[in-house]
Amino acid sequence: MLSLYLILAAFVGLLQAKSSTGDSILVILDNKLNRSDYSLFFDGLEGQGYSLTFRAPGDTTPAIKEHDTPNFDHVIVFAPHTKSFSPDVTPQSLVSSLGKGTNLLLALSQKQNLVNSLASEFSLILPPPQTPLVSHFPAREEPATVIPITPQPNVIVDPDLPPIWFSGIPVAPGNNPLLFPILRAPAESFASDATVDSGADSVLEAADRGGEGLWAGSSSSLITGFQTRNGARATWVGGVELFSDDFAKKHTLGGKKSGNAQLSKDVAAWTFQENLVLRIDSVSHHKLGGSETPEVYTTNDQIVYIAHISKYDPATSSWVPYSGISDLQLEFTMLDPHVRTSLSPVPDTPGEYSVTFRAPDRHGVFKFVIDYRRKGWSTLQSSTTVPVVPPRHDGYPRFLSAAWPYYTGAISTSIGFLLFSLLWLAGGEDKAKTKKE
Amino acid sequence: MALAYSLPSNLAPSTVQNTASFLRIIALAFISGAAIASRLFAVINFESVIHEFDPWFNYRATKVLASQGFYEFWNWFDPTAWYPLGRVVGGTIYPGLMATSGVIYNILHALNLPVDIRNVCVLLAPGFSALTAWATYMFTKELKDESAGLLAAAFIGIVPGYISRSVAGSYDNEAIAIFLLMFTFYSWIKALKTGSAFFGTIAALFYFYMVAAWGGYAFITNMIPLHALVLILMGRFSSRLYVAYSSWYAIGTLASMQVPFVGFQPVRTSEHMAALGVFGLLQIVSFAYLVKAHVSSKQFQTLLFVSVVTIGILGTLGIVGLTYKGYIAPWTGRFYSLWDTGYAKKYIPIIASVSEHQPTAWPSFFMDLQFLVFLFPVGVVLCFRELRDEHVFVIIYALVGTYFAGVMVRLMLTLTPCVCVAAAVALSTLLDTYIDPRMPDTTDTPAPDTDRVSVAGATTSEGTPKKTKKDKTPAAEVTQKASINDFATGFEVLGSILEKDKPPRVAGLDSRIVVVGVALYLLVFFVQHCTWVTSYAYSSPSVVLASRNQDGSQHIIDDFREAYYWLRQNTREDAVVMSWWDYGYQISGMADRPTLVDNNTWNNTHIATVGKAMSSTEEVAYPILRKHDVEYVLIIFGGLMGYSGDDINKFLWMVRIAQGVWPDEIQEPNYFTPAGEYRVDAQASQTMKDCLMYKMSYYRFSNLFGGSTPVDRVRNQHLPTTGPTLDYLEEAFTSENWLVRIYQVKKEDSLGRDLKSANAFVEGKKRKRAKPPVRRKAIVASS
Repeated sequence: MLSLYLILAAFVGLLQAKSSTGDSILVILDNKLNRSDYSLFFDGLEGQGYSLTFRAPGDTTPAIKEHDTPNFDHVIVFAPHTKSFSPDVTPQSLVSSLGKGTNLLLALSQKQNLVNSLASEFSLILPPPQTPLVSHFPAREEPATVIPITPQPNVIVDPDLPPIWFSGIPVAPGNNPLLFPILRAPAESFASDATVDSGADSVLEAADRGGEGLWAGSSSSLITGFQTRNGARATWVGGVELFSDDFAKKHTLGGKKSGNAQLSKDVAAWTFQENLVLRIDSVSHHKLGGSETPEVYTTNDQIVYIAHISKYDPATSSWVPYSGISDLQLEFTMLDPHVRTSLSPVPDTPGEYSVTFRAPDRHGVFKFVIDYRRKGWSTLQSSTTVPVVPPRHDGYPRFLSAAWPYYTGAISTSIGFLLFSLLWLAGGEDKAKTKKE
Repeated sequence: MALAYSLPSNLAPSTVQNTASFLRIIALAFISGAAIASRLFAVINFESVIHEFDPWFNYRATKVLASQGFYEFWNWFDPTAWYPLGRVVGGTIYPGLMATSGVIYNILHALNLPVDIRNVCVLLAPGFSALTAWATYMFTKELKDESAGLLAAAFIGIVPGYISRSVAGSYDNEAIAIFLLMFTFYSWIKALKTGSAFFGTIAALFYFYMVAAWGGYAFITNMIPLHALVLILMGRFSSRLYVAYSSWYAIGTLASMQVPFVGFQPVRTSEHMAALGVFGLLQIVSFAYLVKAHVSSKQFQTLLFVSVVTIGILGTLGIVGLTYKGYIAPWTGRFYSLWDTGYAKKYIPIIASVSEHQPTAWPSFFMDLQFLVFLFPVGVVLCFRELRDEHVFVIIYALVGTYFAGVMVRLMLTLTPCVCVAAAVALSTLLDTYIDPRMPDTTDTPAPDTDRVSVAGATTSEGTPKKTKKDKTPAAEVTQKASINDFATGFEVLGSILEKDKPPRVAGLDSRIVVVGVALYLLVFFVQHCTWVTSYAYSSPSVVLASRNQDGSQHIIDDFREAYYWLRQNTREDAVVMSWWDYGYQISGMADRPTLVDNNTWNNTHIATVGKAMSSTEEVAYPILRKHDVEYVLIIFGGLMGYSGDDINKFLWMVRIAQGVWPDEIQEPNYFTPAGEYRVDAQASQTMKDCLMYKMSYYRFSNLFGGSTPVDRVRNQHLPTTGPTLDYLEEAFTSENWLVRIYQVKKEDSLGRDLKSANAFVEGKKRKRAKPPVRRKAIVASS
């Protein structure tokens, strides 16, 4: 009976896999798109425990944010055909709610619209309008714009994900380190006019103006993740069809079921902060041999630094200690890092990372800095300020062996003076007399 | 003998003496009272507040000393200063001032007088000025007599040159240092006169106190050896000199090395080598004298003389050689700037940028010393009349002090005591002569010196004829020439004063009344002048400014404190504030926030970093600000109110200092118009308009004028109607009169854009289409 409950609980837990930042989602869905065409994706989200609120791009309620506070934890914008949005949906409002921690899942359009114009703020460079991704390989019945892709595995994409169907536009990711391509275009694909290849003139022209940079080949990205400095996530998808039921049910050329359903679930899970979410629970530091955190350190002290890190587990909706980071580093910085050392996990304590190092022989205001950035993973940042002071006046060795010549000198002079005085006092009588005479 | 007026003859000499000494005590008490009272203008006109800049640090340090005890103070590391370098306060200050206040504070509390430490600090300088008056009295007494001493005490008590640095609230090292200076000199003179090791030790102890209190101790360190050297060269070597100098030097140097900030400097820097050299010379000379006394052979004496000279030269060469080798630190830049006034401006702009390091303007001599300026040379000339050892000292002091006061404004302070002493000697001699009731003798028999009785009943100079006899000859030769008999009566008398053999006598009562009356008038006018200067020029705390309303009432401008308290109340406790170094001490004292640079200008590079940030564009400055964790930038802007000491006027110094470190990035000529003018209006150079300091100063300034042309009232220039824009900073606070403006440094953009385009995006401006990044490198065919 108990085991049944456990299984049930586990099942419910699995079902309730939820985001670490909240479960309300606003979906801005194009008027031309039917919810039912994306039922697998949306129902999957609802099944996970998210509460979805649908809204047409022209509607004014429910607003993305009110009184400068976001109303929803996540926003999905699937509006590739919409020209005009209601006044509360602007690039500025989307970016500012992103700044307040709202995650965004955005589908790009083949036409110029609001979402596309926002992309340049994220260092994404879009091809000219009406130039979707085209690939003539492999030979297939489908039009050239509907492309089967075998994904390259990475932290989000599962290694044994079946090939997926894609239709939409590629983007050229800029030099922004916050960008992170999740799905790259196939090597033989390129952006071009959809129906007749002759329209590719505009692409060539754009390429000429750009100097180099055809939206072609595997350098262009189809699904692009973006993690802002405050930890919010935004995902740009080249075409909304990726999430559609059609593509999800469509079989790949090999005859297997496509990986679209799985990929869209994974992408949503990453975007909505279910996966790859880390946080630093606490940091502490003390002298080796002590346990109290001192207000100041003395130069050359042995310092122990401990950080506790946990990872969000969507299955149980809880944070669990995480010891899986092997390349974490700690810097002891004053303007420049004076010490940079690896902060390695403590073997028997999950989630604890610790290092012992010698404070530099330099006084000043130092910072313990952790700055861990890996593609896809949430950024770990921590900075603790602590002064390192020179030894106290009685903290220096009292006698130096190197100073013995001076000690000897002082002592011998003192003794000599004493002897001289004694001799002078004892034997001075005669001299005084002779002087008088 | 004929008398100009009758004196009571039935008084016993002891009565006269007792009354005189009683009157002297009363007079000294009144002088002390006047010295203290005239320094309280600042407290009465404003409030009991610490003044200016440096005193704020001293005050803060004293608070630490009073609350945490001496050892904590000794080991105090201040992490909020010079962020992030921090400052080892205990090892980089002269603790004498704080220790003095701490002792006074503890004594008062032990007596159950719960005085606030701030009031101890505020009133320390006036208190010590009373002691200075006393020390000057003692010093002058050694030089001439008690009446001259009283005059000197009165002068030093109220002379503006000294008041300028010792008003209530001016809690700086100089507050106690002048007393220590005078007392050390007095002990030295006394030790030299008596040949007493005891007074030599007293001099050494006060020298130690001086070393602990003020960096200007180097003045004593070189004055006393110079005096000793001159005495040796004048052939006045004596065992008294030997004892006095040796005891002073040995004990004083050892004691001074106990101050952590000084440490081994007395044996390792060129500034202290003169004292060491003279010490060595004295040993050689005394040895020579010893040998000379025992050996009579002429040849041997010549040999001895030659060997002594050789040893002296070898010693000097040794010191020079050690300096070359680097064992002895060469002269510091501050020292060179004393000889070449242009040196600092060329090589160490940070020293030249301080207004009190500028050469003195002529009017300030009159402002600070008034009629003492005219009496001073007379007093110095009179010193030649007797030319005992102590007179030589005053003459050297006068020469050296005058030179230094001319080179640097702040060294006026060291000249002032000497001026007071010399002027008092001159005036007192004049009064002695004109009040002395004896008429000139018709017969030409010279009256003995000791007969002269001044009206106070004091006997004349202590120097007994025996001692001075052998010194008279050279002195008389010098002074003979100085006596010119063609001048009007007053000068004639002065001239005859110089001739010692003929004691000056004045005939009749009328000339006496006229001369004494004029002297009294000058004295009264001097008091008037001092009071006026003190109350109007030297009593402003500069933290609080005062202006006059149209109806003449006083209007207090309290922007500084307003802004500092805003910082204190509204920012995180560890929010780093960047400002030019002038305001560092005030920010840490009043706002209690970490600062990048402050008035202890020990790290030129760090200051240059701030200068670079201020004089660069926002894009260049922003990484510097982020690297130093700066959260707020504070600037002083006087353009609205007409406050000329603002940052735009100091800006060229920031540029120069930054240029000294980054000559490639910051160039001073770029900040001038093509015509070479320093302008802030529409003609200002582009570099000037783009730099952070300009932008922060004039940001939103034009909004104040509602469309009409904005006017900068300091520089009297019309600004463009559209002001500068800021992308990387945002205005956080501007004080009532716009005197202090505080800007907050923005966080990095969350999307990784530069803040300029992020701002443009927020404002809804279209951005240009970005080019796709070039991923292939162009292949350059090499031929």
